[in-house]
Amino acid sequence: MIEVLRSGLCDLVMDLGRPGQGAYGVPAGGAADPGALAAANCLVGNDAAAAGLEIILSGPRLRFPRGGVLALTGARFAASRSSGAPVAWNETLVLAAGEVLTLDRPEAGCRCWLALRGGLAVPRVMGSRSTFLPSGFGGHCGRPLQAGDVLRCGMPENDMKLLRATPPPAAMEGCLRVVAGPQAAQFDDAGLAAFFGSPYRVDAASDRRGLRLAGAPVSHARAELRSQGVLPGAIQVPPDAQPIILGWDGPVTGGYPVIAGVITADVPRLAQLKPGDAVRFVTIEVEAARALAAVPWEIKELA
Amino acid sequence: MKKYTTGQPQAQPAWRWVGERGLRVATGSATLARYESLMSLNLADVEDIIPADDSLLLILRRAASVSPALSLALAGPLPDSRSGAGRPRHEIAVAYGGAAGPDLQALAKQTGMSEAAYIEHHAASEYTVAFLGFQPGFPYLRGLPAALQAARRASPRQRVEPGSVAVGGVYTGIYPAGGPGGWHIIGRTGAALFDPKRDVPVLLMPGDRVRFVPA
Repeated sequence: MIEVLRSGLCDLVMDLGRPGQGAYGVPAGGAADPGALAAANCLVGNDAAAAGLEIILSGPRLRFPRGGVLALTGARFAASRSSGAPVAWNETLVLAAGEVLTLDRPEAGCRCWLALRGGLAVPRVMGSRSTFLPSGFGGHCGRPLQAGDVLRCGMPENDMKLLRATPPPAAMEGCLRVVAGPQAAQFDDAGLAAFFGSPYRVDAASDRRGLRLAGAPVSHARAELRSQGVLPGAIQVPPDAQPIILGWDGPVTGGYPVIAGVITADVPRLAQLKPGDAVRFVTIEVEAARALAAVPWEIKELA
Repeated sequence: MKKYTTGQPQAQPAWRWVGERGLRVATGSATLARYESLMSLNLADVEDIIPADDSLLLILRRAASVSPALSLALAGPLPDSRSGAGRPRHEIAVAYGGAAGPDLQALAKQTGMSEAAYIEHHAASEYTVAFLGFQPGFPYLRGLPAALQAARRASPRQRVEPGSVAVGGVYTGIYPAGGPGGWHIIGRTGAALFDPKRDVPVLLMPGDRVRFVPA
């Protein structure tokens, strides 16, 4: 059980989303770094798909009236426990009854995931416990947590051990790796040179629907394009020539040319981009991207 | 990509990658037939299939590649294209114009007809749901007469009311929820287009037929 003493900027209940309903116009959604949530769940003996919290930029203060076994993954936040015990990331943590966990601001990046043994027992909507903010359903009442909210847990199903997790190696700096997109040929030389040769800044008007970028114009032929299916990581370029990287809760179809798509292995890096960050792009081949996507988190028993 | 010599008479449909998990397959006018044929195969490596205007987006499971079964399915012949007979038909009651349709007056003027004539033509056509997108449950309806078509608004409205019936390019559509929108709003319906708590959350499915009835 969790009592929310103070909410963060936007604490959302998330699981691994609701893939397979694109034909209804519903995106898969779910944790922005599914590997990080799955690892946190593993650390507390949950199924990978149990629901936890996705916390961004400014964290909540949470009380655990019955204590609990929890784990944090993703960006490290300045954090404290009322017991004075350290708050380790990527490790199983055991909290005593009545302990309070306070998450402040991230040291780098912007999102972390909190899993609690048993998983958060909010109702499933369309097969998932993930919050879908654009339509206000799923998660806890379809909205971010507020002070006073009480979240209940399910019954633990698996045995557990004290564990430590290590994410797959991923450069936290350097270029975002992309596969050239379906309309890459619609962009002129100047547009391609700008996109692959200059940095872009993440704009403040970014959220789980999309990351808006600002930088050198990515010029292209303004041909009328038919609506096409898109997925998170697809980089659309509207007529204003400023690219948008579609996010987890973005639309399932779009009518702007797609210059490239961020590879799955770099989606965890998308999840850590915040307004003001700079990004650059570099292309890789589909087969190489697929091999990178197959690298799992490493989980070991705590010695 | 491997080549398979299967003796299939049809050329393999063209595809392009969106990232390494998105496979954009050109399907022309056979989008729904191809969608249904792929869905019926329940391919293990395919997480989702999103129909759009003249293409499908297949989303592969993480680290999955294009399996021989998928490759064959994409190249395989299509079942007879559906005529639309036997598809559900829906009548959607619409309050046209006025506060419910703030763009009707300007749109009618732009297309050179009276508001009454615009409404009459809009309600006289039978539409087919081409695909859903933009928002959960938002139908892109094909069948808008050429005389009624108009490019999207130069600047999107910040706030469109739920149930707004709209015209954008060659399509007419209905906004299930409130929010920003770039289409011309010509009326409003009380029909619930999307409810995540229903067994089938959307009112209209690709292939369904739709008529608008002035309320």
